[in-house]
Amino acid sequence: MKPRFAILTVLLSCLLLAGLVLSAQQTPPPQELQPGQPPGQVTITLDRGGAQPRKIKLAFPAFRSLGQLTGAGGAVRELEETVRRDLDVSGYFEIQGPDALSGLSLTGDVQKDLVAYRSTGNEVLLLGDLRVEGEKLVFEGRVLDLGSGQAVLAKRYSGPFSVSRRMAHTFADEVIRFLVGKKGIALSEIAYTSDRGGSKEIYVMDYDGENPRKITGHRSTSMSPAWSPNGGSIAYTSFFNGGPGLYLADLGSGRKRPIITSGSLNTSPSFAPDGGRVAFARSFDGNVEIVVTDLSGGNLRRLTNSNAIETNPAWSPKGGEIAFTSSRAGNPHIYLMDSEGANQRRITYDGTYNDGASWNPEGDLIAYTSRRDGQFQIAVTNVVTLESRVLTSGPGENQSPTFSPDGRKIAFTSSRGGGKQIYVMDLDGGNVRQLTTEGSNDLADWSRSVPER
Amino acid sequence: MNRKWMIWMVMATLLTFLYGCPKKKPATPPSDLNVETTTVPASPSTPPPAQDVQQPATPEVNDQTEDLLKSADLQVVNDELKRRGFSPDIYFDYDEATLSDDTRDKLSRNADLLKSQAQFSMTLEGHADSRGTNEYNLALGERRANAVKQYLGSLGVGADRMRTLSYGKERPVCTEEVESCWSQNRRVHMIITGRSNVG
Repeated sequence: MKPRFAILTVLLSCLLLAGLVLSAQQTPPPQELQPGQPPGQVTITLDRGGAQPRKIKLAFPAFRSLGQLTGAGGAVRELEETVRRDLDVSGYFEIQGPDALSGLSLTGDVQKDLVAYRSTGNEVLLLGDLRVEGEKLVFEGRVLDLGSGQAVLAKRYSGPFSVSRRMAHTFADEVIRFLVGKKGIALSEIAYTSDRGGSKEIYVMDYDGENPRKITGHRSTSMSPAWSPNGGSIAYTSFFNGGPGLYLADLGSGRKRPIITSGSLNTSPSFAPDGGRVAFARSFDGNVEIVVTDLSGGNLRRLTNSNAIETNPAWSPKGGEIAFTSSRAGNPHIYLMDSEGANQRRITYDGTYNDGASWNPEGDLIAYTSRRDGQFQIAVTNVVTLESRVLTSGPGENQSPTFSPDGRKIAFTSSRGGGKQIYVMDLDGGNVRQLTTEGSNDLADWSRSVPER
Repeated sequence: MNRKWMIWMVMATLLTFLYGCPKKKPATPPSDLNVETTTVPASPSTPPPAQDVQQPATPEVNDQTEDLLKSADLQVVNDELKRRGFSPDIYFDYDEATLSDDTRDKLSRNADLLKSQAQFSMTLEGHADSRGTNEYNLALGERRANAVKQYLGSLGVGADRMRTLSYGKERPVCTEEVESCWSQNRRVHMIITGRSNVG
C-alpha cells in the first residue's frame, strides 16, 4: 500500500471514529417549539440526573368577556382560574399571568401586541374569550405561537354554566396535548375513603380536590376503592353486610352489587388492566392470601400459599405482574409475582414495614408506604434496579400513595396537618398541595384515564 | 358428758332452723356441713355432683339465671355469660397472633361455658391497634380471630358455631396514641350472636 494512501485511510478512520463518539455523547437538543410537533419523550428517572426538559414560557392574559355576562360572572372567573391552575400544576409551563403582564403596554390588538408579549421571553400566548348565548356559556380558547404570530390551537366549548370547570379542564388537557405531546390529567379523578358524613364511605373528587361527591351510603365502614381501568366503576371493601366483602359501584347508574362476600374476609381489590378480573386478599381459615376472580367472584384462583400474611395486591399496568405485601420475611414487605403467581420475589429491603404498592403508568416504578425511623413515609422503588428513594418527611406520617395517570405526581395521605388528609406532590417530593379538608380522608386511588361515562 | 350433748342439741336446732325451714328447699344431707364454702365461681367447669339433684341454695337466683340465658335479647345473654366467668376479650402482643398462657386459661373457661350451652353461636371479632396500615391490620385481625377459633375448636367447641370477623383497626375502643390504648385494641372480642334450637 502506498504511504499516502495509508495516511489518508488512517485520517478518514479517525474522523469517522471521532464522529461516532461525538454523536453518541450528544445530549438531546433543547425543545424547539414547532406547531403540531410533539417534542421528544419526557423521561423521569428516579435519579433526577437525566436531562430535564425546560418549561414552555406561556403568556396568559385575563380572558375577555364579550357582551353581557349576567349571571355568569362566577363561572367565567372559575373557568379562567381553572385553566391557569391546570397548566401551572402540570409543571410543563412557566406562566406569566395578568399580574406579571401588567407592566406591558398592550393595545388589545393581538397582532400588534405580539412583540410586547415576546419582550418578556414568552414563546406562546393563550387567549380566552367568553360570552353568554341564552342559557349557555361559550368559551373560545386559542394558543398562538409568538414566534410566527400564528394560531396553533383554537377550541370552542359551549355548555351550561355548571360545566365551566369541565370546559376548563378539557381545554387545558388540549393545550398540553398539543404543545407538549403528552396526555394531561386535568379530567382525571381520585377515589378515596372519607368519614365526613359520620361513617367511612367511598367518595370521588376531581384531580384538583374540587367537586367531591359521595359514591356509597352504606352507613357502615366502606374503604379501599379501586378504579376499573375505563373509570366506569369502582371496586371497594365494605362491612355493611357483616364481614369485609368486595363490592362494585357502577358510577353511571349509581348501582352497587357484590363481587364476592363468601368466607370471612375479602379485601383490597385491584383490577387487571383488561377490566374483567380483580386481584384481592381472601382468608383461608385465617390465612390471608392473594387470589384472582372475575367480577362475579367466579373462577377463583389462589396465587399465594404461605404461612404469612399476604395482602394488598396491585396489578401492573400492562397486566404481567402483581405486586403485593407479604410478611413472610418477618415484617411486611413488597413482593412481585407474575399474574399466575409464579416467580415471587421481594423488592423492598429498606424500611421496617412496607405496604400499599401503587404502580406508575409506565410500569417501572412502585410507590408504597414505608416505615423509616419509626414513621410512615412514601417511598418509590424502581422494579428493575430495586433502587429506592423516600419522598416525604415529617411532621406527621405519610401513607397510601397512588400515581397520577401521567406518572408525574403522587397523591397520598398525610397527618402533617393534624388529621388525615389527601395531598398531592411531584415525583421528586416537591410542590405538595392539600386536596381534602373535611373530615378524615385516606386510601386514595387515582383514575388511570379520562373516565368513560 | 352433758355439755357435749347440749352443744350438739343447740347445733342441731340451729341447723334445723337454718336448713329445715324454707319449704321449697329440701333438707341438705348432713355430709354437706363439711363442704367448703365456695366463693362466686370463676371456673364453672365443675359439674354438680351426680347424686345431688337438689337445687342450689337460692332458688330465686337460680330461676333468674335460667331465664337470663333464655332471654331473646342477646345482650342479656352475653352479660349473663360474663357473669358466669366468660371472658369476652383476650389480648395480644404487638404484631402477634399467638395466645399467651393467661389467654389460654381464659379461653379454656370460655370453652367450658360454650360447650354447656351448645345452642349459642358466636362471632370472634379480630382487632388491631392503630399503628400499621388499614389493609395489613385487617389481615392481622383475621389471624388473631382464627387463632382463637382454632384453640376453642381444639377444646371441643364446634367450628360451625364460631364465625370470625376482622375489623382490623376500624373499630377501636380508644384512640389515644399511647401503649395503654394500643394494648386495649390488640384484641379478639367474643360475643354470642345467634341461637339455634339445639340444647
